[in-house]
Amino acid sequence: MTNSNHFFLLVKISIIAFITGAISLPFSLELASPFWLLPFFSYWVIYSNGKNIFASAFILGILLDIIEGGTLGQNAVALVLSSAFILNVKKSFFVSNLTTQQVYIFLGSIIYLIIFLLVQQLTQGLNFEWLILLSPFTSAILWPLIRYLLAKLKQ
Amino acid sequence: MRLLKLFVPVLLSIILIVLDTRFSYLDNFKKFTLTLLSPIYVIVDLPSQVINWVNDKGADNEILIGENDYLKSQLIELKARLQTYNNLALENQKISELLDSSYKIPNHDVLLARVKSISQSRLSNKIVIDKGLNDEVALSQLVVASNGVVGQVIQVTPLFSTVRLISDPTQFMPVKNARNGIRGITKGMASNEKGMIVEYVPLDSDVKVGDLFLTSGIGNSYPSGYLAGRVTSIDDSVDASFLSITLQPSQNMNKLEMVLIIKGKND
Repeated sequence: MTNSNHFFLLVKISIIAFITGAISLPFSLELASPFWLLPFFSYWVIYSNGKNIFASAFILGILLDIIEGGTLGQNAVALVLSSAFILNVKKSFFVSNLTTQQVYIFLGSIIYLIIFLLVQQLTQGLNFEWLILLSPFTSAILWPLIRYLLAKLKQ
Repeated sequence: MRLLKLFVPVLLSIILIVLDTRFSYLDNFKKFTLTLLSPIYVIVDLPSQVINWVNDKGADNEILIGENDYLKSQLIELKARLQTYNNLALENQKISELLDSSYKIPNHDVLLARVKSISQSRLSNKIVIDKGLNDEVALSQLVVASNGVVGQVIQVTPLFSTVRLISDPTQFMPVKNARNGIRGITKGMASNEKGMIVEYVPLDSDVKVGDLFLTSGIGNSYPSGYLAGRVTSIDDSVDASFLSITLQPSQNMNKLEMVLIIKGKND
């Protein structure tokens, strides 16, 4: 895969993640749904040898902040730090079974969630909803499906 | 080296968070980028557009005739109600002139918009509507629906606008009690089911469960007189300085299809 292929895969993955995230869901489902960009971006980090991972995470996070109308940098810092964790376990991803991969995605999502809530608390004050704690679980549960669909896209 | 690559975006993100929270230097950048990203909403909205189109094409003639009859009867009923309102307005004008009052019943321009998407982001309540700069929508305009206030326009692009709902925790709105004019400020409580709270109402104020709160127009940011919500509970614990009043928004945000953008501000 050439550098331009890695880039186009990232663009395709990001567009799908943004569209998926923009789909309207009932309030409780919205809270419990995954932070879509994280599992999609994790796939790119793991299965593509793209460079500038943190810079890409930063730019995509900023774009997500703008689309969501949230505080600029909130999703960016969360995505950069959680992708650092995913990058750290990248090698073991290839030799792990699906369940272990789901655990990694779950841990990455927890990092994302903690940073997201922390920034929310510091900037706007936290209006905590318990259902949001389900989002790492849903990310992990949906990981096999996301991985399958993105593998098809990559082909 | 890898640590530096990680450190730089994290630092940049923190700087952006501070800049965006405290200042408005980045507003133009956000607006420009959002305009570039607006096709995403067109794509997201495509299935519902197709469904609407199919429904319109496939609608039974008999159903359409029935619906037309129903709407005609509604129109007659509303016109009849409007006559009473016109009488009241006229009477109000006379009394205002007698009392030398400067208050006039406002006559605002409105713009009808369709809701494209609801709640784009967790922990904040927003909707996207299909009218934008091209239709002269501007920041801070009030958005209402058939049963009351929906929210305020917070982002505008040429094709669509984002409206922050009154149930959003970061949305504040000056309101008054319709019964006795007691003023306060509403603040959202995240979920529509939880509603809003009214802050800064003194402990000894006359507020009852079931009272209606309207926009007060104080601060000149909102037009006055639009229904915000109904009081569902009052906590008057003596250790607090103010009453804790909970409001149920009069407009059900989960059933929004069409909204009205109020173009004028308070007169």
